[in-house]
Amino acid sequence: MEKRGRRSFLEIATAFIGGILGLAAGIPLIGFAISPAFKKGESKWVDLGLADRLKNSRFKKVDYTFTAKDGWVKATKKRSVYVTDTGNGKWSVFSRTCSHLGCLVRWDEQKESFLCPCHGAIFDKTGAVIAGPPPEPLQKLETKVEAGILYVKET
Amino acid sequence: MTIKQFLNERLPLGEFSAHLRKPLPKHINLLFSLGSLAMFLLLLQAATGAFLAFYYSPSPEHAHNAVTYISTEVPFGAFVRGLHHWGASAMVIIVVLHLLRVVLYSSYKAPRELTWIFGVLLLLIVLGFGFTGYLLPWDEKAYWATVVGVEIASTAPGLGDFVAKVMRGGAEIGAVTLSRFYALHTIWLPWLAFGLVGVHLFLVRYYGSSGTPKNTPEEMKTGKPFYPHQVFEDVVGMLILFVILAAVAIFVPVPLEDVADPTNADYDPRPEWYFLFLFQLLKYFQGPFEVIGTFVIPTVGMLLLLFLPFLDRSERAVLWKRPIALTVTSVSVIGIVVLTILGGTSKKLETTDAAVQETSQPTEQIQGTATPDTETVEEGEAVFDFQLTEEEIEGARAVEEEAQ
Repeated sequence: MEKRGRRSFLEIATAFIGGILGLAAGIPLIGFAISPAFKKGESKWVDLGLADRLKNSRFKKVDYTFTAKDGWVKATKKRSVYVTDTGNGKWSVFSRTCSHLGCLVRWDEQKESFLCPCHGAIFDKTGAVIAGPPPEPLQKLETKVEAGILYVKET
Repeated sequence: MTIKQFLNERLPLGEFSAHLRKPLPKHINLLFSLGSLAMFLLLLQAATGAFLAFYYSPSPEHAHNAVTYISTEVPFGAFVRGLHHWGASAMVIIVVLHLLRVVLYSSYKAPRELTWIFGVLLLLIVLGFGFTGYLLPWDEKAYWATVVGVEIASTAPGLGDFVAKVMRGGAEIGAVTLSRFYALHTIWLPWLAFGLVGVHLFLVRYYGSSGTPKNTPEEMKTGKPFYPHQVFEDVVGMLILFVILAAVAIFVPVPLEDVADPTNADYDPRPEWYFLFLFQLLKYFQGPFEVIGTFVIPTVGMLLLLFLPFLDRSERAVLWKRPIALTVTSVSVIGIVVLTILGGTSKKLETTDAAVQETSQPTEQIQGTATPDTETVEEGEAVFDFQLTEEEIEGARAVEEEAQ
């Protein structure tokens, strides 16, 4: 009876120590791996160029770059947008990232629509979904003009 | 004392040998070699992958160059990469055929439910190898297929966004993603795969081969011995498979597209052929139903497959004598094949663009160092880059302040 009690104690103690060891090593390891998910992205204004150069643009494809930290690398990120001059110093800038699964949309001049090459999504010129799977419209980027330079807010 | 005597005195070699020579069921056919072929391919992938790692560098700056170097300059590099690349496709085919063989003869039934479950987990590992592996060349296909793959994960209700960020190691695909996928592909998944294969093989040997349903209980132990008869057939199968793979590796160059470009909208992303069915499936679920294609169907399908032995309670029999199993299997296989064909033959997108041809002008009107704007034309579509240098921006601000 006594021996059995001692055996149960050893079994429970072994499992307990094993559990402590697992948690002590596991928690920091899991935190180490998933930590990037908790990092908040920074938004910043990125210049697209002189607003005058983009005057009268209509769904003009404009590429731009900016530097951002990617882990241990200060990387040059590339982006591409469609810029339209809506008059009175206002601009409409659409992200080209499809709101479905992230492929890049293309403006079709004849159809007056943005088309996605992946799953057949079609957005109208206001960015609203008119066909295909996306659950949300095309993202419109915030813009501002300062010192004659057009900026978009990169999030 | 000979080496054999030395080892015999120290290891249970006699028992091991007797175990290997135990007879298989009487009715066994060539389909029973598929598991061994999958095992062979796993070893081949591990070997070729381990050697490819000698030259590969998992960073966006070097990955594409490293793969180009392997393919064009390292002796046998194109062959080794070819074996690894085509071996991955062969692995998917063989593993799926192995699974279908088990379904055909209902070999998953008691007491082999756990063998089946570990087998399905291995199928998931194989698909995981495929998904993490094709980011590594860091070409257009690698980048865009991974963008779409990770976005699919992000649509899962609740934790989707979190899972996607963990997969990417941040908000978007970059250096951290590549090193993560490399670690998963070369360390985590191989360890998991060999661990699961170990359990799977132990269970296969522990319960013995299931044979076909034709075997009577007496016939279950009256067939040819596993070693050397079955092993010989398996080895011949491996040789044939290797010759085919080697021929493909020599005569069909492994594609390597241009280096990944996150702004290249002229690229039509398509996944590897074994994910094409999912790619095509996603087109049919629109708006609020998107999650059905991205999450519900794949998850429910995988869970049904995993727990198949507990759902199919019919007597053990060959597939065509089990009408429900036959219907479900046929519909699933035909559905996946049709979706794969539709996905693979879907037309590339053609757009008509204004393609305004503007002449780039240096920005003389502002102070600072003027840099020429650039305009490139990609397949008829004009791309503009009017960005200013920091000096130019400062200059523009100075002009504005002066005017005020």
